[in-house]
Amino acid sequence: MIKNVGITERLLSVAAGAFLLGKTWRRSKGRPIPLLAGGYLIVRGSLGYCPLSHWIGKKNIHNPAINIKVVMTVSKPREMVYQYWRTLRNLPSFMAHLQEVEEKDEKHSRWVAKVPGTDGIIEWEAEIVKDEPQRLIGWQSTDGAIIRNAGKVQFFDAPKQGTEVRVIFSYHPPAGGVGVGIAKLLNPLFKGVIEDEIRNFKRVIEAGEIPTTVGQPAGVRTGKFKLI
Amino acid sequence: MKALCWNGVRDLRVERVDDPKILNPRDAIVKVTMSSVCGSDLHLINGFIPSMQAGDILGHEFIGEIVEVGPEVHQLAIGDRVVVVSIIGCGECTYCKEQLWSLCDNSNPNGVLQEKIFQYPTAGIFGYSHLFGGYAGSHAEYIRVPFADHGAFKIPEDIPDEKAVFVSDGMPTGYMAAEMAGVKPGDIVAVWGAGGVGQMAVQSAYHLGAERVIVIDSIDYRLAAAASHSNAEVINYEDTDVLEVLKEATGGRGPDCCIDAVGMEANSKGVEHYYDRAKQALKLETDRPAVLRQAIAACRKGGTVAVVGVYAGFADKIPMGLFLNKGLTMRGGQMHGQRYVPLLFDLIREGKIDPAFMLTHPMPISRGAKAYELFNKRADGCIRAVITPHA
Repeated sequence: MIKNVGITERLLSVAAGAFLLGKTWRRSKGRPIPLLAGGYLIVRGSLGYCPLSHWIGKKNIHNPAINIKVVMTVSKPREMVYQYWRTLRNLPSFMAHLQEVEEKDEKHSRWVAKVPGTDGIIEWEAEIVKDEPQRLIGWQSTDGAIIRNAGKVQFFDAPKQGTEVRVIFSYHPPAGGVGVGIAKLLNPLFKGVIEDEIRNFKRVIEAGEIPTTVGQPAGVRTGKFKLI
Repeated sequence: MKALCWNGVRDLRVERVDDPKILNPRDAIVKVTMSSVCGSDLHLINGFIPSMQAGDILGHEFIGEIVEVGPEVHQLAIGDRVVVVSIIGCGECTYCKEQLWSLCDNSNPNGVLQEKIFQYPTAGIFGYSHLFGGYAGSHAEYIRVPFADHGAFKIPEDIPDEKAVFVSDGMPTGYMAAEMAGVKPGDIVAVWGAGGVGQMAVQSAYHLGAERVIVIDSIDYRLAAAASHSNAEVINYEDTDVLEVLKEATGGRGPDCCIDAVGMEANSKGVEHYYDRAKQALKLETDRPAVLRQAIAACRKGGTVAVVGVYAGFADKIPMGLFLNKGLTMRGGQMHGQRYVPLLFDLIREGKIDPAFMLTHPMPISRGAKAYELFNKRADGCIRAVITPHA
């Protein structure tokens, strides 16, 4: 049986489920929704497996590596697209989570990233491990990086014009002690943010800017929202 | 500044908000002189388009004066009198380069969100929900215009404001409808909807050589305007069987080209109407496609149906059997305004298309909510109310 709920959470889950069941039973002799919810929490806690967590991407207890894949077509020639990416210090122009990428020599670079939701930064060194001009750039963090990470970008001519860009990023959270806090950063939300940022590459290289509405005027945001 | 803000279903309020600022190098700030209501706003106001947030500034069809430009704006100068296209295009992606501006890859800041529904992101639109970018709209004293070199066009001096304002959205939408419908000399064209876009589709169809244009609506004063200003034949669907009348009027063949200028809040008669109202209320369909059904049914064999009335998502009981077996062509789209503006300026100057009659109600921004109420109820002979924030 796969387990994707940690031990603390399992205990809490059973306790919350029992509380909900007991309370609902006393008050109203079994309204269906709290009853179902309570039952669900107990089952989830005792089995250590949560289908909902599974569905949102938590497949087991150990935080797995995060792999991010983006495919996009940009309407610029392959040489230019490759060159923009190969000039690593350009990366922060479209990936807002990167504060700086400093190219130390042809192969080595130092990356500084902001930690989402805090003022903190994480730094690591990386080296280019593959470089096929106009086709492929591959890099990985060197030994000692807190978050081991690697990336690969491939460039292909698109059928009519422009360039197909295939980007893969992977992040490996550290194990044990210090690692736990950092591993929490590498969640599905983080994945979505990085995906969006990689896609901003297209906006920057085509339109020269990333569209935004941050800082525009609006009336009072009372919180009312029309979802559907 | 003052701005007209959405605050919930049929709840619009004039609020004091900050003045807009340049946020990106290709932005310009425009002092809005005229900003028209549009039928498509009613879908937002009546609550049929998702992702509206209280505080959103409405409005997308406008003219004004450039008061500030970003460092990467090269074609415009402070003081220029401009019409701004309602959809926003970067001008650099493959779609913009192919003149398919409403399909711009880069102008929608919420493209990733929109992709979850449409699979691919489409262009941002001023004041048209967060799915379409969440850009602040034009019913305000000032507005920020992204990619201004592409979206803002200097208005020739001999074109007055009351004509130029409709070059922003209503005219190009009507023109593109006629173009998508493939109107050729000698064709008979049917247009559903006698609002601003429908009226412009009628005049554009005549310009493209239509022999006759027939307009279908239920609002008599709008039908009368289509007859007197645009030389249309008119059908009030309340009184008649539209399919019968169209057949009769076209020698039994049916119209060559059918244009849906109504969209998702179509009204119809009898059971069909209650069926769609109920399904829409229960969220079983987002759109009431009564006009689309009728257009597919009415169209002659081998004809073309063009859709410019706005649809948001999913519609039921589309007669696909008729569509297939009659060998129809169907096209749709938000208009690619940037492609049509210079042509429309010419057509206005030559007197081939005249939109000025649509401006029935100029109103100050303080009466913005009232403007939409008149427009929504089709009251007081209103075709288009136009807000004049600085008058």
